[in-house]
Amino acid sequence: MLEVENLAVDFATPAGNLRAVDGVSFTLEPKEAIGIVGESGSGKSVLSRTLIGLLAGNGTRSGTIKIGGRDIDQLTPAEKKHFFGVEVAMVFQDPMTSLNPVKRIDAQLTEAMRYHLGISKDAANKRAIELLDQVRIPSAKERLRQYPHELSGGMRQRVVIAMALACEPKLLIADEPTTALDVTVQQTILNLIDDLRQEQEMSLILITHDLGVAAGRTDKIGVMYAGRLLEVAGSDELFTEMRHPYSEALFKSIPKLEQQSHTRLDPIPGRPPDLLNPPTGCAFAARCRYAQPDCLEAKPPLKGVVDDHQWACFHAVGTPSGDEALAKNTEAGVNATGLSMTASTEDA
Amino acid sequence: MAGSGSAHLRDDNPDVILRVEDLVVEFPASAGRVVQAVSGVSFDVAEGETLGIVGESGCGKSTTAKAVIQLPKPTSGSVDYQGSEIAKLSAAEMRKVRPDLQMIFQDPISSLNPRRSVREIIGEGLRYWGSRGAWTESRIEEIMEAVGIDPRFAERKPHQFSGGQCQRISIARALVLDPKVIICDEPVSALDVSVQAQILNLLEDMKERYGVTLVFISHDLAVVKNISDRVMVMYLGKLCEIGPSDALFANPAHPYTEALMSAIPGIGSDKGEELAGELPSPIDPPDGCRFHGRCPSATEICSTTEPEMTQVDGEHWVACHHPSVTPVSISSN
Repeated sequence: MLEVENLAVDFATPAGNLRAVDGVSFTLEPKEAIGIVGESGSGKSVLSRTLIGLLAGNGTRSGTIKIGGRDIDQLTPAEKKHFFGVEVAMVFQDPMTSLNPVKRIDAQLTEAMRYHLGISKDAANKRAIELLDQVRIPSAKERLRQYPHELSGGMRQRVVIAMALACEPKLLIADEPTTALDVTVQQTILNLIDDLRQEQEMSLILITHDLGVAAGRTDKIGVMYAGRLLEVAGSDELFTEMRHPYSEALFKSIPKLEQQSHTRLDPIPGRPPDLLNPPTGCAFAARCRYAQPDCLEAKPPLKGVVDDHQWACFHAVGTPSGDEALAKNTEAGVNATGLSMTASTEDA
Repeated sequence: MAGSGSAHLRDDNPDVILRVEDLVVEFPASAGRVVQAVSGVSFDVAEGETLGIVGESGCGKSTTAKAVIQLPKPTSGSVDYQGSEIAKLSAAEMRKVRPDLQMIFQDPISSLNPRRSVREIIGEGLRYWGSRGAWTESRIEEIMEAVGIDPRFAERKPHQFSGGQCQRISIARALVLDPKVIICDEPVSALDVSVQAQILNLLEDMKERYGVTLVFISHDLAVVKNISDRVMVMYLGKLCEIGPSDALFANPAHPYTEALMSAIPGIGSDKGEELAGELPSPIDPPDGCRFHGRCPSATEICSTTEPEMTQVDGEHWVACHHPSVTPVSISSN
């Protein structure tokens, strides 16, 4: 369905070249769902926007993106319109800003259908009612005549999802679709996306900062940091067998409901690297308790013993070399970059 | 409440520093209607304790906490701080209490003046309260060090710091006047998880070092559980359940608390029971228990009679006609 190979995105900024996405490769089968997890600035949103052909004017892309076996760079403008209007659809984070506040729901919902599918106004309206039913919006007919401000946040996000589904895309890209919503609403929206994916046999890319959101609703998860995928694994396997020290550190820093109150949290020391002056070696090394001298010399490639679990680390968690690295650093009190093994506060 | 009543207030506890009874906050809406943001909420906080307030958007958690520090003044109800009724204080008297009651906001960047240096931001309260000279300087340095910002950066402006560091500066500003109570309104919601952990640890350290009492508002149950001694759950302007944080999350008694817990997307958890319906409007809230229209356990009484606070166990109280945990006050009868 989707093949991304060695994708890189550079932005020319006044301060110099900024590489937001750096050599990302992954594939997605039909009906498969991948979660892309990362913190602010990890490049996950730039990645998702690049996949749908949205790149800011100062950005350049290299690497190949193949959708349904076709390289998107080889498409004619007409074919591109079809691809990014019909085959691939996107849901953004904030449902209020992705809807036009001065247009009624029906006008917004039918616009893409009429343009891309060339169907009549009546047919599009009929389909709009079906779509609202599909995203479980009650009294669809009345809702169609309303404006976005008359709907709650959860309802609005359902409308945005209905818009994305209007042309029956083969691939849905959802960029933090529930971040602006309450947990109970988040749950219904995530369940809805999951059900629709099964019904319509779509592939899904779910971008999120929340490991828990990605866990239940995807087949595999990619963990992103400083523009690179550091670990890709089956969604269950990732949590039982975390290999990359960043995945482990990210997971450990989250407070969990199972823990007693006042459990001391385990933050990640330091800060993400400055992407204007990226380090030569592994981008996480400066914050990593496993880092060794070789981590500073070269970026570890993303690979694994088995194809469906890959990681980009020379001293992965739970491997002999990782255990050795951790023991060595613990004994020395610092990692290879001089980070104290007991450091837990952000460096000013 | 959600229900009413104040039976859960700990009037025999001498350490109670803040006691809020029957707090009501209403805002005017169009056409003479009234938004009932907070409707009769009672709670107390003991000195050195952290009270977590949890609930979804529109439940009144922020309004409750802000009404405590009279921003704005509540419509009715009593707010008793160290034995004095602060809702009745004159503006001049209230000003004297203000340094004791500080606040940390959600967005660390917009809550700091971008044109001031960190020294000015942290020192403003000190200057206002009439201290100057060497003591002020050393106090600013001490607080900056305590929150993990190098005092050498005191002349820098907020934009030169990351979001997490700006939140540390906000914490320093709140601490500098040696307050008794700090209200933290979603202080980690805008931060990445790795930074969130740093700030939560810092708040615990500051609590220990300066002996402050915290009221901590968040929509994130796991965050609230981590930092709080006691937790109260709110829904549509009412209190649903209050109790010690471990006990409350181990045995949630209110169906809404259960719904919130099962909605958390988790690792290895199933999709959970979805909560039916949408949040009703606070302009025209439902009669009886405000949660009844969405509650899986609701019966007829829930739509007519508002439940009173009932003791579940010890300091764990719930306002529900059909709590999931049998309250001692019923089982002992």
